[in-house]
Amino acid sequence: MRILIVEDDEVARDYLAKALREVGHTVDVATNGLDGLQMASSVAVDLAIVDRMLPQLDGLALVQSLRATGRKMPVLILSALGEVDDRITGLRAGGDDYLTKPYHMSELLARIDALARRGESGIHDSTKLKLADLELDRMTRRVTRNGKKIELTAREFQLLEFMMRHSGQVVTRTMLLEGVWDYHFDPQTNVIDVHISRLRQAIDKDFDKPLLHTVRGAGYSLREDE
Amino acid sequence: MSADQRFIGVINSSPFRISMLYSTAFACGAAILLGAVYFAVTQVVDGGTDNLIEAEVQGLREQVLVLSRSDFIELIEQRSQEQDVRGAVYLMVDPQLRPVAGNVPAWPKIAANEGKWIQFKVSVPYGDETREHEMRAQRFPLPGGYRMLVGHDVQERQNVKNLMMRGLVAAVVATLMLGLGGGYWMGRRILAQAGAISAVATQIMRGDLSQRLPVRDADDEINTLALEINSMLDKIEQLTLGMRTVLDSAAHDLRTPLNRLQSSAEAAMSQLAPSAPERRVLERVTTEVDRMRGTLDALLRIALAETGTVARESVDLSELVASMVELYEPVSEERGIVLESAVAAGAHVQGSRQLLAQALANLLDNAIKFTPGGGHIRVQLQSAAGGPEVVVEDDGPGIPADKREIVLGRRVRLDEARKFPGSGLGLSLVAAVTKLHGARLVLDDAAPGLRVSLKF
Repeated sequence: MRILIVEDDEVARDYLAKALREVGHTVDVATNGLDGLQMASSVAVDLAIVDRMLPQLDGLALVQSLRATGRKMPVLILSALGEVDDRITGLRAGGDDYLTKPYHMSELLARIDALARRGESGIHDSTKLKLADLELDRMTRRVTRNGKKIELTAREFQLLEFMMRHSGQVVTRTMLLEGVWDYHFDPQTNVIDVHISRLRQAIDKDFDKPLLHTVRGAGYSLREDE
Repeated sequence: MSADQRFIGVINSSPFRISMLYSTAFACGAAILLGAVYFAVTQVVDGGTDNLIEAEVQGLREQVLVLSRSDFIELIEQRSQEQDVRGAVYLMVDPQLRPVAGNVPAWPKIAANEGKWIQFKVSVPYGDETREHEMRAQRFPLPGGYRMLVGHDVQERQNVKNLMMRGLVAAVVATLMLGLGGGYWMGRRILAQAGAISAVATQIMRGDLSQRLPVRDADDEINTLALEINSMLDKIEQLTLGMRTVLDSAAHDLRTPLNRLQSSAEAAMSQLAPSAPERRVLERVTTEVDRMRGTLDALLRIALAETGTVARESVDLSELVASMVELYEPVSEERGIVLESAVAAGAHVQGSRQLLAQALANLLDNAIKFTPGGGHIRVQLQSAAGGPEVVVEDDGPGIPADKREIVLGRRVRLDEARKFPGSGLGLSLVAAVTKLHGARLVLDDAAPGLRVSLKF
């Protein structure tokens, strides 16, 4: 995937570019807003990571101009601001996701993965989600594994649905809290972990091959292990 | 607002009440003044006629003694013709009360003693028609059983008095009506202006600092007041926006180096073998970065809540509390704590869902942190008339009464709490968020444990 980074902070930019290249992406960098806009408009970029406070052209204005010219590539906004309602302004300006500094690289990579997959067709509108022998029907709200019905609470169902939509990817705790509960903060207690372990009990306990995996230092992943 | 409510609002407004008071006072004054005039005029008019009649009676009493009956009749006839019928009236009757002379058609059937004043009506021709006229008269006996009536037409006088009385009543009623109408108009005007001011004030309190009071093209005190309030709002907006700018640059200046630190540590870690001893040091660095980030987030959120500029929306408090309880239920169960909840449906508040969620999360984090295994946490949402109330109770160690005020300040951690992790900002954030939402935060003894109440 070709990713454009628009970031004026050198240390953060270099590490970000390096980390993205290491996982196999092609990376372009811009150090100010105007260059960023020019590159995003001329080069076939698949995804852009834009810092909110940029010299010459502000990050939000950049995203707005991109959207105004019909560019639809996913944009992740990085922000060093105060947050709370800054996130809303960022998303309203046309950003697809919003991450506050300082961030963990694992969090950023997980979000980029999720953003990149969002464009793929079929993931969003299919009523049936399937992974190995695990099946989830969004219409009937029925979950089966190997043909056997699995009883889930409403929230466990939502959690599983979110994980299945992102199957094969790493999903972080904050992504779950945002995606399933619509909360944007870090709880001091490991609330998400306990929800995940309940879900794991429900879908993995009676089966040989576990599907729900813990990714150390990052989050969780629902995938079929070879 | 319905028409009825608006009407009641105007009736209850202070301009209306004041003008009601004044117009009642003015109406009383007018009544007294006009009453005095009425009294004086009737005195003069009544007295004049009565004297006239009495003099005529006296004259005739003397005449009857010196004149023969036929001459007396002649005299009466003559006087009757001399006088217009609307002026003096005469009637002489025989012992059978049959008219002998005079200009009154019949002897009035009034059982009053001789010498007393009587009033009766007589039909008086007015061109083709006749009208009833009020007469005032005295009766006295004549020699030979004849009787005499001498009186005067008082219809004019009655008309004047009636007119004056009507004028008096009309003046008093008009004073009251004018006062009432004027008061209602003034009340509505002031209420409309006050309504516009309070509508704007509500929007400003919701965080929209760009709102200004409506200013009309008039030079009255309300307009002056509005202009002054507006310039005050300009100042407040400037200060608050200035504060936000300061906060944003402070956030930027702290988050950027923290991010560099995080990036550098992560970059260095990626070069190391998983078992390298340096890895542990770098992991400690990133843990500290996380902790600093947590503290910074909390401080910024407190500061942001205190500027009051956070955008507000209608928040379904019932949904929020229920979903927070649901979020924390598994983790409390894991720690052997029973999390109970009673959430009333349909409670809404204006505010920031994220900040309210953060505040609730802090309360639940605290409750879970301080409640021993086997303990209980109770979360309640009560829907009261004044506004909803959220209560979080635990049966942990609680907070001593004399320290409850202190813990709401920034970074206060009681000695007893030092063995637990945390930044000490949890309750300060709860306090700032409660204040932002115009709610009241009360810490109380749950005997044992802590009872925290957020009354909206």
